[in-house]
Amino acid sequence: MGARRQTYIAYGLLAPAFLLVAGLIVYPLYMVLETSLRVGRAPNVARLDRLPLGFGNYWRALTDDVVWHSAGVTVVYAVGTIAPAFLIGLLLALLLNRDFPGRRWLRSLMLLPWAVPGVVAAIAFLWMFDSSYGVVNAQLRKIGLATTDIAWFVHGDTALFAVILPTIWKCFPFFALTLLAALQSVPQTLYEAARVDGASPFQIFRNVTWPGIRGAAALALVLQGLWVVKDFDLVFSTTGGGPSRATQTLSLLVYEEAFQFFRMGQASAIGVLMLILCACLAYLAMRWGRKDFH
Amino acid sequence: MPVPVWRPYLLLATAVICLVVVLFPFYWIVITSILPTEIVLSRNPPLLPPLSEVTLAAYFEVFARKPLLTWISNSMQITAGTLAITISTGAMAGYSLSRFRTKAQQAMGFGLLASKMLPGSLIIIPFFILFSKAGLIESKLGVILANSATAVPFATWLLKGFFDAIPRELEQAAMIDGCNEWQAFRHIVLPLAAPGLAAASAYIAIVTWADLVFARTLNSKPDNWVVTVGLQSFTGEYLVEWGALMAASAVSLLPMLVLFLLLEPFLVKGSTQGSLAN
Repeated sequence: MGARRQTYIAYGLLAPAFLLVAGLIVYPLYMVLETSLRVGRAPNVARLDRLPLGFGNYWRALTDDVVWHSAGVTVVYAVGTIAPAFLIGLLLALLLNRDFPGRRWLRSLMLLPWAVPGVVAAIAFLWMFDSSYGVVNAQLRKIGLATTDIAWFVHGDTALFAVILPTIWKCFPFFALTLLAALQSVPQTLYEAARVDGASPFQIFRNVTWPGIRGAAALALVLQGLWVVKDFDLVFSTTGGGPSRATQTLSLLVYEEAFQFFRMGQASAIGVLMLILCACLAYLAMRWGRKDFH
Repeated sequence: MPVPVWRPYLLLATAVICLVVVLFPFYWIVITSILPTEIVLSRNPPLLPPLSEVTLAAYFEVFARKPLLTWISNSMQITAGTLAITISTGAMAGYSLSRFRTKAQQAMGFGLLASKMLPGSLIIIPFFILFSKAGLIESKLGVILANSATAVPFATWLLKGFFDAIPRELEQAAMIDGCNEWQAFRHIVLPLAAPGLAAASAYIAIVTWADLVFARTLNSKPDNWVVTVGLQSFTGEYLVEWGALMAASAVSLLPMLVLFLLLEPFLVKGSTQGSLAN
């Protein structure tokens, strides 16, 4: 079999996927960059390329209070989701790593929220946290923690917290899954050696377990952090960004600029700034994860 | 140090309590969907349903009053189309990356990274512009292509991991026996990679089924709505019919939950091989 024939087969098999990635990721990315330099509004997108080119959109985005406010909301939303979701995922992974009857089934069921569409998760939590008929307010009234009906998703002070809850619910299974896989790859002999040396459970976690799962934890944190920052479904279906922008993340702001006000250029510029920020954070987190790993 | 006999049962009890909390939203969707409106809209909903009151009225109502079957059919067609494109191209590309040394490895890595970073609400802007020009607005093909964009690099990468685990000697033996490359791939390698194909399909089906941003932006006519867009339209109404909405949610959830439970072992295996993520 000739080397040339091999090369033909190799590239021939790659070609369809390559064309799709080129046409559906690379070219659209280039279009985002180009559109971000088109200053003005174009309700008819076919006329977008008649708008003048310039850096006006970036300048406007960086000096706009709304953008900075949304950036702040995004950070609170992402950190407020990822920190508790990671902790829950880690504790569940440690639990599911122990040996007990029915463990396999419990694991499968525990990960179910991951398969739920964001819209359905949003709707379920809207209903459970409904101010008049929601089960959560009813229980809070029963045990005397609430005297009035709390409008979780409608009130500016509680809306972001209320949106974070379904996001955590959808997010923690991924942490549990990846951390559990990492835990199972830590050699048992290390635990035995630590126990022989008389290490306390906390010392064992710090010096044996954590170094073993640190790389996987960093990767999971980056991927889920990006996922939360990108999220559209959950915020859009619960609050739509309201009340008065209290839950408007950058992702929603981009969509609103583009498809409500038809400022495609402005939307793309905000989106590009968001991508740059995500790339920097991902890079830093991955470097931290690789440090003294392997 | 001997482990006490009761230790596994204590762990089991803890896990069951966690599970009850985790699964409560599912429970509440189902409970709301099978109880009559008087009980659903009460100030003090019972945590355990009075069994004598159970009714399927909300299910009949939602199927009668909303085009739920049309939405589900649209979702299924779009999911099937996305699977057809991404699994076929991903399997070929993943096999190529696994068996041949080409200059494409890094490019595919970039594709994977970009697909993890690109927000749907941003990439929809060029899709909307491109598809408007190409006449793909209000068509299923447009939504299928949009969903395939991020799924192709993912399928490629995941399947490459599964192909890497299949020894090359199997194909070489088949080719000595007179198979050509395609036959060896089709009859020897693909069947062995079935768990990988199952994992990639399950993952992509779940993500495509859940898509909201592409479907609602590219297909705004009610006849073309998918199930997520239809469900989301309930919440914009002045008086939300919670019983009917929960019934519709339960129906839309069922296929993906069954798929997930059936394929969860493969997904777990896949997550340790590739970088599986939302």
